[in-house]
Amino acid sequence: MTSWYQRKRTRELALVACFLAPALTIFFLYRLLPLGWNVLLSFQSWSPLKAAAWIGVDHYEEMLLDDDVFWDALTNTLIFIGCSPIAIALALAIALLVNSDLRGAAIYRTIVFLSYPLMTVAVGIIWRWLYDERGGFFNYVLRSSGVIDQPVKFLQSFDWALPCVIAADFWQVLGFYMIILLTGLQSIPQHLYEAARVDGVPASARFWRITLPLLRPSIFLCIVVGILNSFTSFDLVYVMTNGGPGHATELLITYIYKVGFGQSRFDYAAALTVVQFLLLVVLTMLANRLAGGNAGSLER
Amino acid sequence: MRRAPSWPRHAIMLVVSFLMLVPFYWVVKTSLTGENIYAYPPHIVPVDPHLFHYVDVWYLIPFPRYLLNSVIVTAMAICGNLLFNTAAGYALTKQFPGRRWVVLLFLSCMLIPFQATIIPAYLITSWLGVLNSYLGTALPLLSTIICIFIFKASFEAVPRSLIDAARVDGLSEWRIIVRIMLPLSKSAIATNVILTFIWSWNAFLWPLIVIRTSEMQTLPLGLARFLSVMEDTTGALFAFVVMVLVPGLTIFLMAQKEFIRGLTTGATKG
Repeated sequence: MTSWYQRKRTRELALVACFLAPALTIFFLYRLLPLGWNVLLSFQSWSPLKAAAWIGVDHYEEMLLDDDVFWDALTNTLIFIGCSPIAIALALAIALLVNSDLRGAAIYRTIVFLSYPLMTVAVGIIWRWLYDERGGFFNYVLRSSGVIDQPVKFLQSFDWALPCVIAADFWQVLGFYMIILLTGLQSIPQHLYEAARVDGVPASARFWRITLPLLRPSIFLCIVVGILNSFTSFDLVYVMTNGGPGHATELLITYIYKVGFGQSRFDYAAALTVVQFLLLVVLTMLANRLAGGNAGSLER
Repeated sequence: MRRAPSWPRHAIMLVVSFLMLVPFYWVVKTSLTGENIYAYPPHIVPVDPHLFHYVDVWYLIPFPRYLLNSVIVTAMAICGNLLFNTAAGYALTKQFPGRRWVVLLFLSCMLIPFQATIIPAYLITSWLGVLNSYLGTALPLLSTIICIFIFKASFEAVPRSLIDAARVDGLSEWRIIVRIMLPLSKSAIATNVILTFIWSWNAFLWPLIVIRTSEMQTLPLGLARFLSVMEDTTGALFAFVVMVLVPGLTIFLMAQKEFIRGLTTGATKG
């Protein structure tokens, strides 16, 4: 009897191992190993044609002291992340409007969300065209309404390029923030509002005292999405400006791509990646602290 | 209870909807219009509309080829995900030594965004010898951690008594999965298919790194290449954009609820 049970147990363990193997292999090869390799590579001097040699923190020294583009890219990435609260606030306003028993709310929700699942490369091309100085929508509207006399080359301008890319990004992610916040709004128990109403609490206080505190996990999730978004916005920047003019719209991720695959400096690109990853971890932890530490609960 | 009138809210939402829809309209208009797209002022309605640009895209650029490549890579990613994630999810419902470590490993991998791995990922793929191939393009997308956990939760929700009854009836482990677990996990399957479809269909950075020749390019790469060759000088570019967006939009409008649920579950990518 025991041997039958043992055989069955061994077979079950073999099954478990076989079932886990493919997924574990993929994540080992494409997540864990690359992360470790990045760190290793960042302390080495290496290229496909040259043997590896330890050089200590030389790459980091170069990055922090001599590399202006790195600082541009870092600043732009931080601006990109720093602007996401504006989009979240807009999305919250829209979510509050379409959450109530407004007729046709479902249609509004669909329209606002429609742009989120689109291919980002295509979104970049659409917005590039909207900003165009001749056939573009914005120049047409601004010129025909008399705000400007001369067409503005939005994406070729050092002042306008970054805000323009961020606006295009807002257009795409707004609907996603809205959906996250709507889910949060719908999980707030209605009786809290009723009790507050009975006590004569004004609407603004209901918002600040009930809605906002209870939305904290959803807002945290939005902020994390916003942080990640600055890393995934490679497609948008690549198509709209490719980091230009100069490096006015360069993000860390586009710079890493250029250094790695444009200049074949894999070791330096690895050091940049390590910095980018640390930035991500620190910002996410910070956001988690601000949200009260229990914000992961929404991610079911 | 006195309610505020609803028309101000409708007014605001109409303005918002207008702003959200203008980009779509502008690109469709440009793809249809017969006028010189650089003529100023541009017309609001397409002048002399025609479909030549769409025909151009189909015949002059290898659009069918890009489409085929995209479909193959996406299909591979979806099959891989369903197979590997259900398997891993099922394994995690069992007790085995080291289970805690496996879960911990998955959870920590979830914190590593793919964008932060591109340099070594490229070196590993080249070492595996699958650069510039469908397999190499799909490989990092073949499994999704968040979906493994979704499947695990879904399998654990299957009533114990049902599984025991099936065992008593002599069903093998394999058939229990196929005949009982999977049919009861339809929503998990839908979530996984949708997430994988979106991520692999729209994937740009990874294919840009792995794919070298134009006949292996997927739709987003084809689009970027067309842009770099032609700039935005022709309406065909915008016809191309519309043709690329239509499949995704159609699927989204058909399965909106599953779509939104799937995307919110996978919010931070797995």
